[in-house]
Amino acid sequence: MSMMQLALSNVKSSFKNYVAIIVSLAFTVLVFLNFQNIVCSDIFDGLGGKNKEYINTLIQVISLVLGCFMFFFLWYASNVFLTKRKKEIGIYIFMGLTNQKIARLYVIEIVMIGVLALVTGIVLGVLVTQLFQMILLAISDITVDISFQFAWEPVLITAAVYLIMYVIFAVKGYLNIVRSSVLEMVSAARKNEYVRQNAFFLLVKTVLGVGILIAGYYLAIKEGGQEVMGNVFAAVVLVVVGVYLLFGGFLPVLFQNLAKRKHFLYQKERNLWINQMIFRMKKNYRTYAMTCVLMLCSVTALATGFAMKSRYESMVHFRNTYTYQLLSNQPELAQEISTLIEKDNQIAYSAEAPILLLESDLVSSRFQYSHYAVLSYSDVKRLAASTGLDFELEEPGDDEIIQVSQLHLLSLLTDRSHETVTINGKTYQQIADTSVPYLGYLQEQVTFYLVNDAEYEKMLSLGEVTYTYNYRIEDIYNFAASTDELDTLGDNVQGRITMDPQSSDIAWIKVLYTICIFMFMVFVLASGSILFMKLYNDAFEEKERYLVLKKLGISGKTLKRSVSCELGAAYGMPFVVMAVSSYFSVHALENMMYRSLLEIHLISVAVILAFFLCCYLASVRLYVRNVGIE
Amino acid sequence: MNEKKVVEIMHLTKNYGSNGFLTTVLKGIDLEILENDFIAIMGPSGSGKTTLLNLLSTIDKPTQGTILLDGKDITKLSNQELSRLRRDKIGFIFQDYNLLDTMTLQDNIALPLSLNGVLGRECLERTKELARIFGLIEHLEKYPWQLSGGQKQRGAACRALITNPEIIFADEPTGALDSRSSKDLLECLKMVNDSSKATILMVTHDAFSASYAKDVYILNDGLISCKLSRGENRREFYDKIIDMQASMGGDFS
Repeated sequence: MSMMQLALSNVKSSFKNYVAIIVSLAFTVLVFLNFQNIVCSDIFDGLGGKNKEYINTLIQVISLVLGCFMFFFLWYASNVFLTKRKKEIGIYIFMGLTNQKIARLYVIEIVMIGVLALVTGIVLGVLVTQLFQMILLAISDITVDISFQFAWEPVLITAAVYLIMYVIFAVKGYLNIVRSSVLEMVSAARKNEYVRQNAFFLLVKTVLGVGILIAGYYLAIKEGGQEVMGNVFAAVVLVVVGVYLLFGGFLPVLFQNLAKRKHFLYQKERNLWINQMIFRMKKNYRTYAMTCVLMLCSVTALATGFAMKSRYESMVHFRNTYTYQLLSNQPELAQEISTLIEKDNQIAYSAEAPILLLESDLVSSRFQYSHYAVLSYSDVKRLAASTGLDFELEEPGDDEIIQVSQLHLLSLLTDRSHETVTINGKTYQQIADTSVPYLGYLQEQVTFYLVNDAEYEKMLSLGEVTYTYNYRIEDIYNFAASTDELDTLGDNVQGRITMDPQSSDIAWIKVLYTICIFMFMVFVLASGSILFMKLYNDAFEEKERYLVLKKLGISGKTLKRSVSCELGAAYGMPFVVMAVSSYFSVHALENMMYRSLLEIHLISVAVILAFFLCCYLASVRLYVRNVGIE
Repeated sequence: MNEKKVVEIMHLTKNYGSNGFLTTVLKGIDLEILENDFIAIMGPSGSGKTTLLNLLSTIDKPTQGTILLDGKDITKLSNQELSRLRRDKIGFIFQDYNLLDTMTLQDNIALPLSLNGVLGRECLERTKELARIFGLIEHLEKYPWQLSGGQKQRGAACRALITNPEIIFADEPTGALDSRSSKDLLECLKMVNDSSKATILMVTHDAFSASYAKDVYILNDGLISCKLSRGENRREFYDKIIDMQASMGGDFS
């Protein structure tokens, strides 16, 4: 029999054992391919300039995350494969094969399995892309219509990345076998994975984990100025490290202590499943932590997506406060302009207000903008009354100021108290910050400060008063009709803004939204599947133990209950830690996005819960079958 | 002496294979086990020892005949009832211990009782009591891989005894032990039997082990060919068993 035939028959005969590995590898390929599909689709074509830069950075970050994800998954899968095969392979040694030959056999086998997984993953990936696309279209009205045509480019990229990583691990396995001794190979499968861990060491890990996690939570929700960016970054790292330490320290401590309390332990099936948990803990805690982090990513991704969506809608709304905004150094033009507009359009509302434009070197604030203007309290109040916009601002004192700003997509500046602004040498305390669109799109171009009427009078000498005439028409899509009339104003008007409601320069936010939802689905699927695969694999290793329990006369029902508890804990623990942690991550997002995300938070947690419940039920069924209880 | 019948076997027959290739392993066995008996079943390879034990422990079903365990015909019970019967009435000791390596010796011993829904405190007391009898009290916190074969087998015996079963089935319990450990285990089993705590049926090929029983049945070619009873002296009994083995000339391993 040639090497090839031997490898083929090996794969065939133990195919059932490798289904789990093949499926999990195929799954990684699927995720990566799906993402590459988005990258290579025409979705980004319509974006220009800065948007493209934003998206490119985002894509690089996500690619990196997915690449790491694939790398660790392959690492894990190849390790499982190696331990599983080592014992069987060891037998060949007694048949007189050299280590090199056995290692070659291993490589042939692992390549067969790898290629099989790659093909499965690509086929499934193409199908799932269509499915995800349908889901995306179904759940949202503002998602970008992505047409996923089958393309070779993403497939080739995925295959290349996968194969490069796969080759690394195949070579690693080859070297491992070549260098290992006969004894090691024969006893590889018999290794007792249990080591009751040192309680002191675990306690240190726990304290460290909890401390780091709390520090991470604190940094995430801490309000602050420019340092928030750094804080958020640190929070991400701290939470990930904290979760790992928590699962590596706290859980073993908890379960080992439960196992010591015999009055507690000797009740129902606890004796069985708690001991089983402890036994598996050292090997499984990384999987729990990984699942937890992935779920946390997914919740945050969905919350980000929805915050983006809501923000996008408010921004569109903000910009369309006025259809036309005219700037002039002449007062009393309102009537004339209204008449011109009404020739072709109905005016929904209109308002006028003088603004005092200041030279930018007169003003100093935390961020230096290029255009500044000052508004008087009563002018804005009047404007609000005629447009129907909210006006709940208190009149500022003589050394107080209110910033009237644009609607940001997100702001890292989460603490806005104690800001000061200096205008022409006088320092004002900023008492509030409003993003009500009193001056509509102008607020995106100019930074406005609201002062009381007396201060406004005093400042008049510092700059130049410009009158703004703002109109909103009934049919905003008919904006073009009145432009020719407005052109007739000629030199009376120094500037004119015409809002096209279909303007596309913030379209990239929609793309972000789509990607966020996509990432949510990918992460949820990933976290559930990793745990599912892990437990599926474990079942085969538990077979012997359950056989003993059956021999002892323990009923299938009891064993099933014990399995249910054990798997319930495996799914439940990462979920609980995620639920707690996600509160902080979403809260941090809320601070940056100025929006309550509670609803989305609860929905995403509920979606994950539902998905996990399905995985759990399927896991219990398969586990019970695979360990031979039924 | 209490005359309660724990097990009653009548005309027990077991065939393997189908027509034409039929092998009859047990050819109509009758046996009564009374409460507090300590019975050893010996016999050469292929005599049907293991088959008999499998039938008794409800793992296999007989072709003909009845087995009454505690008055119930186990050949006619449903799977669920069998499972309950195994749980409540029977204790098992295996040649290869079958302790779970995931838990401490103490947890292993307590397992059957705690799974039966007995209160934690009672499980703990029973475990300690049995561990004391079997000399395992210092080893309770250890895991199976930290114990010697003899300690493991005594632990397995404790586990079999903890539910106070009607009968203990021991399948070659000393098969994997050295003579010293065997002796320790058998002394313990004898002690619990003498203090009227257990009825034991032991399958063994080892005359030394069998000499600890009260009665030894020799199984030969599917039939019980003779019964030896111990008098006062175990050494004499041992010689009797050896003589019997020699006279039968079979291979008893």
